[in-house]
Amino acid sequence: MRRFRRLSIVDVILLALRVVVVVGVAVGSWATLSAGQLRGDQWRDLLVFGVAQGSVYALIALGYTLVYGVLLMINFAHGDVFMFGGMTAFFVADALSRAGFLEANPILGMTAVLLVAMFSSMVLAILLERLAYRPLRRAPRLVPLITAIGASLFISNSVRGLYGEQVKAYPALTILQGKVDLLGIPILKTHLVVIISALLIMLALYWFVERTRTGRAMRAISEDKDTAALMGINVDRIIAVTFAVGGMLAGAAGVLYALVFNQVHWFMGFLPGIKAFTAAVLGGIGNIIGAMLGGLSLGVLESVAPALLLSGFNVPSPNQLRDVVAFSVLVLVLIFRPYGILGRPEGR
Amino acid sequence: MNDGRGLLRRALWFGFISGALVLYLITVGIVLAFSARNTITGVVALGRLMLVAPPLALGFVTAAQGTGTARRLGAGLLTGLASGLILAIFLVFVSAVDIRGILVRVSPALTTFVNFDKGATTGAAINVAIAGAAGLLGAGVRVMTARFRRPLVSAALGVVIVSMLEPFLYPRLTDFGLIVIGRFLFDHKGLTVVAAIVVFAIFAVATVGWPIARRATRQRIAATDPGTQATIRGMTLLVLILFLLALPQIAGAFLSQVLVFVGLYTLLALGLNIVVGYAGLLDLGYVAFYAVGSYLTALLTSPISALHLGLPFWIALPIVILGAALTGLFIGAPVLRLRGDYLAIVTLGFGEISRILFLSDALKPWFGGAQGILSVPPLLGVNHISVPILGWELSGPTLTYYPLLFFCAVAAFVAYRLKYSRVGRAWNAMREDEDVAQATGVNTVNHKLLAFALGASVGCLGGAVFVTHLASVFPGTFSILVSITVLSIIILGGMGSIPGVVVGSLALIGLPELLREFAEFKLLVYGGVLVVMMVARPEGLVPDVTRRRELHEAEAAEPVEALPSSEGA
Repeated sequence: MRRFRRLSIVDVILLALRVVVVVGVAVGSWATLSAGQLRGDQWRDLLVFGVAQGSVYALIALGYTLVYGVLLMINFAHGDVFMFGGMTAFFVADALSRAGFLEANPILGMTAVLLVAMFSSMVLAILLERLAYRPLRRAPRLVPLITAIGASLFISNSVRGLYGEQVKAYPALTILQGKVDLLGIPILKTHLVVIISALLIMLALYWFVERTRTGRAMRAISEDKDTAALMGINVDRIIAVTFAVGGMLAGAAGVLYALVFNQVHWFMGFLPGIKAFTAAVLGGIGNIIGAMLGGLSLGVLESVAPALLLSGFNVPSPNQLRDVVAFSVLVLVLIFRPYGILGRPEGR
Repeated sequence: MNDGRGLLRRALWFGFISGALVLYLITVGIVLAFSARNTITGVVALGRLMLVAPPLALGFVTAAQGTGTARRLGAGLLTGLASGLILAIFLVFVSAVDIRGILVRVSPALTTFVNFDKGATTGAAINVAIAGAAGLLGAGVRVMTARFRRPLVSAALGVVIVSMLEPFLYPRLTDFGLIVIGRFLFDHKGLTVVAAIVVFAIFAVATVGWPIARRATRQRIAATDPGTQATIRGMTLLVLILFLLALPQIAGAFLSQVLVFVGLYTLLALGLNIVVGYAGLLDLGYVAFYAVGSYLTALLTSPISALHLGLPFWIALPIVILGAALTGLFIGAPVLRLRGDYLAIVTLGFGEISRILFLSDALKPWFGGAQGILSVPPLLGVNHISVPILGWELSGPTLTYYPLLFFCAVAAFVAYRLKYSRVGRAWNAMREDEDVAQATGVNTVNHKLLAFALGASVGCLGGAVFVTHLASVFPGTFSILVSITVLSIIILGGMGSIPGVVVGSLALIGLPELLREFAEFKLLVYGGVLVVMMVARPEGLVPDVTRRRELHEAEAAEPVEALPSSEGA
């Protein structure tokens, strides 16, 4: 029936938008590639960096997706849960580094830092759910979203008050300096460590959701909360567990982010948070594999696209516009394919 | 016996919460920021009141249950003591271990203030005693009858508020030759003890007297004939208008500046209120319209902008508003078919994209990149006007105030008329249930677009006024925080409520300007306001009647809600 609807102004604008995007992408990439502005190895470096930051995005995106799966709610404050983990673990990393422990036992030291970050983010996520979201279970849909925005602002500014405003530099490990050769491709050691750890954590999560009792309960709730409750699942507890797991992933992402970018600060939750949400939507929100793929593709897109699309148009300093790429992906995906790459349209 | 144990556990639990709150206020830096501001000089500083407030409030809460006055008072005392004990442990700990490397605000200055400069152990003991007394006082207030409680609480709040107004009241009283009153009221940035007692008494009497006087006046007005009633209403409106016109003259230059900000945010909030409050579309990218308004105005009116036009403001304004409405349509059209929360995120994306584009080097020839656009002429084309009859000199903020007041009045009038029009009812229906609205013949897409375009126009108007006030425009002004600030104003005041918008911007924009120490914690408070309002009072402080019913609908219709619904669609 949809086909026979009258063409409205909205359809025209949407069509125009599609044409502009497709033509823009095609012309931009063609111009850049034919001009040969970047060498092959530069493209490869961009790609590797994209995968590294994408795996961080993927970890955060999993938190969005898990919570959305069980509560159908966008946990806007998730980016700040991520930031809190990275910030809190900084003090442990700093103390260990000053004591010389981090240099002596880098693996043990970094694991400790990672665990602290995961633990602190987990505690914050549980508190957030308990204090801000649980009272709103039956409220109209926008109410929890507004609460989440408020919580995001509250958490980031609390951290600013508690830990101070200045940017904090994570200690650099000598063992992570330089590059390694992987199948003939030289990769920065930090990037390799970040990608591998993210993959391991994601595998653990996949096992948890697919193979454990609690994971099964989570899946049951995301299918149908009320029936799950009738089957004897303690819905409140499982929702709290979901927030806890999401928080742990975000905390780990906080440390990995600090490894890639070397520094943490109180406002760093906002952009990665939005980008990770974009990744979650890109992969189909509520879909765990989707969030992983979405994160990786967004990371790569964000790293490659400014150079690929914009330098073709001779735009000055295209790297300034890398956030625009992420936001454009967000806007376009939500407008044209809100169910994501792996999702299926609902109710149509 | 059972009741007693329940009360004990309750008291200890609330005491723990209170202690946690106190530690939060200390470590986040709020207490120290307000430690220099006296409420009653020589007796208590505002920072101290903040330390006392949690045990007081939670003592009040603890005493809400339980039987027997003595028991309830005891529970309140226990709450306070528990809270004080947590603070004491913290103080002793901090005196032994330096944690400034992590929690940067825990400085010697802070501990000295909290300890009364008496060392860790003595200071901790004093704090336990004070917190216990506060808990007991809170419980006492709860135990007494409402007849005493209301005047007491409002008088205490009155003293705090009057003391906060010192930086403005004192200089203004001096300007008007009333320095005697100023000297009587204030000393060392706080109320004098005598003045505090007088203010307390005035507020207490006013709280008791106000409802009685109001009822009497209402009855007398109701007794007159309809013609007189209309005259009275007209006179009230006239007095209000005259008051608003004279306000900058009474308030002085600095407070006028604050008024301009309050007016600006009122205007923005009136616009967003149409989108969020009436049509129920959560727009987090409202700042984009504000930015478009500012940049368009600057482009058209500034002689040194890329266009070199230098148009007068009033000629540029229609073009700006038209451009804004078109931007609203352009942004609105693709996103309006999205569900509520996705719409919010997409608009947020648009807002950020606009900011980055205005900032970028790519569009620098047009928008000036990080430098922005300078030399925007003032709104009325001149910098100074003198009104001969009244002897008023208008310049700077007072000059911006009047056009702004006019725009706010127009926007409020339009919003008010729209609300009760056919369009307003369509919005209402759409917000409550989109499918049903569509089924009853409301063209939802067109009505959503209309709301978006109207909101965008008002936002642009705000941007236009703002840019003429600052005489320049910078991309840094247009962060997501503006959108969230405006949203907080609407949420605090009440979605869909026009008086609520004014109350909200007075509280969230005016108050932080009055309390300079507060500025640093402004965003923290906005975040807190959003969370607390949504959890405790989603209809806002000055609620709109329909909206309140809507938000409490779920409670009334709980059994129906429990059915598995098609929420995922």
